[in-house]
Amino acid sequence: MSQVSVFLVDDHELFLTGVRTELEEHYDVCGWSGEVDEAVAAIRRLVPDVVLIDVHMPGGGGVSVICNVLETHPGVRFLALSVSDDPEDVIGMIRAGARGYVTKTISPAELVAAVERIAEGDAVFSPRLAGFVLDAFGQSIPVASDPELDQLTPREREVLRQIARGYAYKQVARRLSISVKTVETHVSSVLRKLQLSSRHELARWASDRRIV
Amino acid sequence: MATLRSGPPPRGNPRLSHSASCDNIIVLHPTPRWEPAIATGTSLETGAISAIRRIDALLYRNANDRVISGLAGGIAHRLGIRTPYVRAAFIVLAFAGGVGVAVYLAGWALTVDRLEQVNPRNPTSRRQLAGLGLVFLGVLVFLRTTGIWFGDSLMWAVGLVAFGTAAMWERPGAGGQGGLGAVITDSNPGRLRIAVGALIMVAGLAALIGNLETMSDIGPAIVAAALTAAGFMLVFGPWVLGLVRDLGKERQDRIRSEERAEMAAHLHDSVLQTLALIQRTDDPRRMVTLARGQERELRSWLYRRHPDEDTERVGSVIEQLAARIEQDHRVPVEVVRVGDAPLDDHTRALAAAAGEAIANAARHSGAERVSVFIEVEPRSVEVYVTDQGRGFDVTAIPEDRRGIEHSIIGRMRRHGGSAEIVSQPGEGTEVRLTLPREVP
Repeated sequence: MSQVSVFLVDDHELFLTGVRTELEEHYDVCGWSGEVDEAVAAIRRLVPDVVLIDVHMPGGGGVSVICNVLETHPGVRFLALSVSDDPEDVIGMIRAGARGYVTKTISPAELVAAVERIAEGDAVFSPRLAGFVLDAFGQSIPVASDPELDQLTPREREVLRQIARGYAYKQVARRLSISVKTVETHVSSVLRKLQLSSRHELARWASDRRIV
Repeated sequence: MATLRSGPPPRGNPRLSHSASCDNIIVLHPTPRWEPAIATGTSLETGAISAIRRIDALLYRNANDRVISGLAGGIAHRLGIRTPYVRAAFIVLAFAGGVGVAVYLAGWALTVDRLEQVNPRNPTSRRQLAGLGLVFLGVLVFLRTTGIWFGDSLMWAVGLVAFGTAAMWERPGAGGQGGLGAVITDSNPGRLRIAVGALIMVAGLAALIGNLETMSDIGPAIVAAALTAAGFMLVFGPWVLGLVRDLGKERQDRIRSEERAEMAAHLHDSVLQTLALIQRTDDPRRMVTLARGQERELRSWLYRRHPDEDTERVGSVIEQLAARIEQDHRVPVEVVRVGDAPLDDHTRALAAAAGEAIANAARHSGAERVSVFIEVEPRSVEVYVTDQGRGFDVTAIPEDRRGIEHSIIGRMRRHGGSAEIVSQPGEGTEVRLTLPREVP
């Protein structure tokens, strides 16, 4: 398998340099940018396998980069990497089309593993993100109008709870007596539901969170 | 906060704007315009300021949407309705024995202008002038019909004087000076206006004096008093008005600089101190702990969701316990929380048991981090404390180590819940705490 190419988008230069050093040992870091328009152009030119992207940047932020790139290059995979753990940012990036979301406090080894997983086409759920999703699809939300789309299956819920409890995919698989591949399938279908569900529940949940 | 934001403008919601500034906050921090050296006033002064601040938060004059003063625009914005309705309400109230006029004047005096965008060349718009003119005419017609009237010729004279004075004294705009100020700064349009204004005023005064002959029946004393008052107002009125306006501006400036000073002081006490501490530390573990503690503190200060929420919800209490243990034992504790529940005797016991479990994991497991997962469901609250550390044989807890038995299992049982400890040597440990909720 050829080396995975990674592109970095972050307007925080110190952090960018740090991540670059960590990833260069494992991947082909083909470029980086701290600016929205420049990043979109460069990603379209280089077509990397994975793009690590910050949420908040001057000139539109991560969401606009994802939307712009996916319009022309739907094959590029995005992993959001941000200091923000605001549920709205997390859900916003996932809805835009990111395949995962990790906070910048992630350890270098975990980040390398997350990039690997994204490159293989899977979704990456950090414990915190799993918590948000559980909250968003939580029992407090009344029955949705499209149950197939908006409800998590009991198995998906269980997988998410395990991840939220801090277990790695491999451990989740062992604890639930299923294969790692099955765990990944569940996680990916949760991600799909999250991206597809354009219903008001998520918006309302987010606004509830602000009031609480 | 708005002064800090350099990122894209927020889309609609306040929370987003906070987090938008979050990435840039430390980068922006050394902006030289920050001047923390603000003289702190007396306690009386700060009391007055807080009262003023309360009025300002409640009511303001919308400088972007004004016909007369913008008061109606401000009220409409505060109430979330359209401005014409508020204006109509004032007009209707004005006919109810003048209540509307009184309320309007009081509102005008108590509030300050607030504008989103300043147009420095033209602080008083044509629309506003037309509005004021119409109000003035309306008052005159009203007075005439009600009989409080000194005769047409006299009122014409007084009107001319008033108009001339107004033209001369038009108050300085935000961008430059008008009125007499313009004479001092030697600007041509201002001079022209003052000349015309003075002419009109003199003409009006002449007509007034001419009229005095015809009104001997009113009584010279009243005339003298009225003239004195008018003269007094002519001379001091604009000055007093300007003073009041300056006061309002100063009050706004002071509120703003106070906020800035508060933020600077906070960053100095917390972030800068921690950064200094980190520079002097050789131990990487301690550095991480310091950075994490500071991060958490800064986050909670920035987002300040609800101060009282922190102490009254079980999730927040466990988060606080986790933060303290993290600092004491220098092991990162990740807390993920789904939902929250109010604090009562039972949930307080749950929090204490969770704290004990977290402390045990941090102290004995040797793991690089401890994960805590709190899930509040309608019928139960569950807390999982997980570490990937060395684990232990659950069946072989020594008799003298009663911590687990007493403060976790026993405590949960006393409050109707249960505790389960899953661990094997080399496999990490998981403590599951379950507490049934009383369904209301």
